[in-house]
Amino acid sequence: MATTLQDIDGDTLRAWMVQYITTVLDLPEGKLDTSESFTTYGLDSVEAVVMAGVMEEEFRVPVDPMQFFEHHTIDDFVQTYAKPSEQPLTGEKIG
Amino acid sequence: MHPDLSLVVVCYEMARELPRTLISLSPAYQRGVSSGNYEVIVVDNGSAEPPEAKQFADLGLTLRVLRCSSGSPSPVIALNEGLAAARGNVVGAWIDGARLASPGLLHAATMAASLHPRPIVATTNYQLGFQRQHLSAAEGYDREREDELLRSIGWPGDGYRLFEVATPEMKDPPFGPMLESNALFMPKSLWNELGGYDPAFTEPGGGMANPDTLARACALPATQLIRVTGEGTFHQIHGGMTTSSAALALRTLDQGSRFYLRLRGQPLKPVRKLGWVFDASKNAILSSDGPSEAVMGAGGR
Repeated sequence: MATTLQDIDGDTLRAWMVQYITTVLDLPEGKLDTSESFTTYGLDSVEAVVMAGVMEEEFRVPVDPMQFFEHHTIDDFVQTYAKPSEQPLTGEKIG
Repeated sequence: MHPDLSLVVVCYEMARELPRTLISLSPAYQRGVSSGNYEVIVVDNGSAEPPEAKQFADLGLTLRVLRCSSGSPSPVIALNEGLAAARGNVVGAWIDGARLASPGLLHAATMAASLHPRPIVATTNYQLGFQRQHLSAAEGYDREREDELLRSIGWPGDGYRLFEVATPEMKDPPFGPMLESNALFMPKSLWNELGGYDPAFTEPGGGMANPDTLARACALPATQLIRVTGEGTFHQIHGGMTTSSAALALRTLDQGSRFYLRLRGQPLKPVRKLGWVFDASKNAILSSDGPSEAVMGAGGR
């Protein structure tokens, strides 16, 4: 059982964040650039707090909203906190 | 005879703030409305010394003061009791009685509501002071400083000067993502259809009840979101759940959004749909993501 974000597979976390942000921001599927900052998408501080809570509920690991401000792209966040995946992360578009 | 507009204002321990709020809603302050056209219903949610209507007799308001005896720290039941008592064709919900109105707010809301058969009229939230109060409180912003701030603009002489000393709660008001509106207006029939505020939100302050109400209202079929520009409500600091300190604001949002997730099965999110943006000073819809007849509708009435 995972106890920190470092126990979560990077690809799994990345896919979850892409899906979450796409849904919350009503973005077209496959249009989210994971190398862009959260603020570029329009995700504000309130939504960062909400996302941290939902992420905690989903993965049962502690998430501090400040982590999204310190590492403010999906790629950076996943690379910093999650368990490395076998394939290297890139800034390519999903989908 | 029913008034055109009812306002439901909920208060709890607001002996300092409520009198100012009611001044800002009075016919002497509000422009474009007359006292006979609207009523104000204050619902006290359990204050040790609840306000009485006679305290405000000199304001010229059509005013009723109700007392909610639910004992809940959430304002939701009080709001719903006020909504049930409202007689106006259009009803505005004022979840926080510590909010001052700008002088054209009631006129703008009334006009905006007349533009569509199923309007959701949302006004934007501001907080007094030069940054959000959960931040400024840590730097010494308190009731005394706020009193001085209001004196500095000669309030209530020109209520529009509130904009000079306030900070918006949303980005790019009123166009940006809107989490909530603390003066939300709908026809009484729409409030009934919505079922008012959801009593599941029992937390102090109501948690995410207000964002939930806006989201559910916008999801009702064939409704039209109308954002009002050039007017707003202005929060006086009073020990509220999201304005007293950064830590309390964060905890309230964190816990509230988790509760919302469990209740609704989806994450809390602001309303991003623009709807119509109505400027009462121009009697015009400035922006619209809806059909073009909407724009024609404003100028033609």
